[in-house]
Amino acid sequence: MQTARKQDPQPLVAAVRGATKHYPGVLALDDVDFEIRRGEVRALLGKNGAGKSTLIRLLTGATVPDGGEVTIDGAALTGSGTQRTVEAARLGVRAVYQELSLIVGMSIAENLFLGRWPSSMGVLSHGEMEHQARETLARLGLTLDPRRRVATLSPAERQLVEIARVMIGEPKLVILDEPTSSLAAAEVKLLFKAVRSLAAAGIAVIYVSHRMNEIRQIAQAATVMRDGKVAGTVEVADADTAEIIRLMLGRGEQEDRLVGEARGGDAVLSVRDLAVPPKLSGVSFDLKRGEVLGFAGLLGSGRTELLRAIGGLDTVRVGTVLLGGKDITRASYGERVKSGIGMTPESRKEDGIVPLLGVDENTVATDFSKVAVNGVISASRMADAAGDIIRRIGIKTARIDTPVGTLSGGNQQKVVIGRWVYAGSRVLLLDEPTRGVDVEAKSQIYAIIRQLAAEGKSIIFVSSEIEELPKVCDRVLVLKDGNFVQEFSAPGIETDTLMAACL
Amino acid sequence: MSATTTNHRRGFRLFALDMNEIGLIVILLVLYFGFGATTNGFLSANNHLSLLRDAASIAIAAWAVTLIIIAGEIDVSVGPMVAFTSVCLAFMLKADVNVALAILAALAIGGALGTFAGSLRAYFGVPSFVATLGLWSALRGMSFFTTNALPVTFPDNAFLDILADNMFGIPTSAIVMLVLFAIFSFVSQKTAYGRSIFAVGGNANAAELCGINVARIRVLIFTTSGVMAALAGVLLTARLGSGNAGTASGLEFDVIAAVVIGGTALSGGRGSMLGTLLGVFVITLIGNGLVLRGINPFFQEVVRGVIIVAAVLANILVTRYRERRIFGV
Repeated sequence: MQTARKQDPQPLVAAVRGATKHYPGVLALDDVDFEIRRGEVRALLGKNGAGKSTLIRLLTGATVPDGGEVTIDGAALTGSGTQRTVEAARLGVRAVYQELSLIVGMSIAENLFLGRWPSSMGVLSHGEMEHQARETLARLGLTLDPRRRVATLSPAERQLVEIARVMIGEPKLVILDEPTSSLAAAEVKLLFKAVRSLAAAGIAVIYVSHRMNEIRQIAQAATVMRDGKVAGTVEVADADTAEIIRLMLGRGEQEDRLVGEARGGDAVLSVRDLAVPPKLSGVSFDLKRGEVLGFAGLLGSGRTELLRAIGGLDTVRVGTVLLGGKDITRASYGERVKSGIGMTPESRKEDGIVPLLGVDENTVATDFSKVAVNGVISASRMADAAGDIIRRIGIKTARIDTPVGTLSGGNQQKVVIGRWVYAGSRVLLLDEPTRGVDVEAKSQIYAIIRQLAAEGKSIIFVSSEIEELPKVCDRVLVLKDGNFVQEFSAPGIETDTLMAACL
Repeated sequence: MSATTTNHRRGFRLFALDMNEIGLIVILLVLYFGFGATTNGFLSANNHLSLLRDAASIAIAAWAVTLIIIAGEIDVSVGPMVAFTSVCLAFMLKADVNVALAILAALAIGGALGTFAGSLRAYFGVPSFVATLGLWSALRGMSFFTTNALPVTFPDNAFLDILADNMFGIPTSAIVMLVLFAIFSFVSQKTAYGRSIFAVGGNANAAELCGINVARIRVLIFTTSGVMAALAGVLLTARLGSGNAGTASGLEFDVIAAVVIGGTALSGGRGSMLGTLLGVFVITLIGNGLVLRGINPFFQEVVRGVIIVAAVLANILVTRYRERRIFGV
């Protein structure tokens, strides 16, 4: 779909032509063309794995395409390795990622000029630096004092400083990756003001986001990616949300569903009026025995906060959580584990596995006492227990004591799920259990989840890949801005209606 | 869902040798026979007893410090802890406190001080280096302050004489060392407490999410370390026949060096008691051999420094090679 430009076209800032990029087993980009012009704000959308990140990495020089070319401000990128990112930065490409990269112990001004502090004869000139910093902040319509330490700033202010930082040294193209995911509504206004100042200064902005109301306020056109291709570029003013969803999902290939119709028995977990200000305002739901309940919602919708509060990782101050009729609202994480809640974290490497220990020890770590005789761990009991889980969950490992760090991502995830099966948990909270695992492992994990539900376990399944939810969930609750806005039950769960409810 | 998995464990045997430990045994043999061939008196029976006694003074504290380093923490307070408990014990014996009671009280003091440092780490997030550095300074100061830097003598005591002497021809302290070696090896390999220490050191977040009480583990390892340092203090007091504020100076560095030479990673998650045992003997052999050779005592320190760094460097190179094989990085 070609965009018809109404005014005289501004000069091109960046162009990608015929770009192709292979990763082992994946075609991340397939003959992609992309252009952006001076002063334009372009939204970039697509499901996880659609190729957005790879496209951004091409523009910042972090990735070299297998085929095709990337041109910034008329000059083609030629280098490789870090040389290429330096080249792209010199030509004016700047990116702001979700993880903030400020040094909190330093002042705003020091952060803005990090590593390029103005100095005379080796001595830093603080006055000059603060003066330039104040000017830069003013260009974005910000009135922050550049002498303030970043540690004293709110998350939103930090995000704005991060954007101010890309203003240093004549940027031509600024890429913002889901910049509002951690911001509240009022703070989003400040961010938009800054983005408009960038555009008014002739800077091209690529704005990665899936919040349609934001995109409508800030972007002129939206490019939608799907399966490594550009599915289409539409004028935001002309396009309705349904069309954008259609571009994101493509025309329905039949999905493999593991769920016939919603099932489930008595309520095992009951949550009432649970609030975690400011991200989550009073939500209630029941999780039934043998049920797989999905939480859908965009980044920042409150789903992380909800899961952490149920699991007991954050203290619940407002609302109640009942497990099997027993009030566990005030119970610590450890007490919840003992009463039958098991949680798998979204970042498997950082919070999930102990990489140097074997599959067996990673499994029994949730309850050593079950494999101990008089306080002494019995090697044969541990082998039996771990072997049982390895068979039931289908973990592929050469030995039961193979260090978990050496297994594939999918098998690591199975270990993290398996340890709760071993511990006999009744309620499993699975946070992004398929993140970063290959397609085959994904379908195995879906099958494991259904099997566990059939055995009577109750499961909360959180995924940012919306199309996963209809495959495994009996029921899906949609979170938006800290509230449940809609509920879907199998067999009536459809990816497109789910996505429409989230956006 | 079929998986062909060997239902058998490789790393669970108590004393399985790995490459680093084999390397250390080679180093030990070279040192032993090297000094044996070139140094008069090195191979004498008396010198062997002396080697065992020296090893015990490092090793008893080193068992607990091995656990601490596996958990990703550090304890630099060992030397002053030994001195302080030795002074406390001597004062109690001087005041005619029953010897068993006095020894128990000394161990309890060590345990309490260790618990204090561990609690600072576990509940207040004070880095363990800082918490134990504080103890290091305060306890040494306390020992000198209370004794005016003079030895604290006490009446002869039959029980302490047994501790200072030999049993079955072997120094009692060496027997204590070996018994504790067996206990610590067992605990670290075969109990939930021991395996939790490895899990905490390997990935504290993951351990916490498994329901392991990470804070309690962090306190307990320092309690253990305090008790072991106090026990070393008791044995030292028995051997010297008095409490000395300046004793065990620099012992913490011998202990940490022995643990690290033994292949326990300062980053946590990996280590073994057997490695520490070998590390203790490397340190003891070097010290003993250099003394017997009559090397200038100041230069001995230089040689020791070089050998310690060389041994750890070799250990890191071995580990890197092994990780490249296991993780393919």
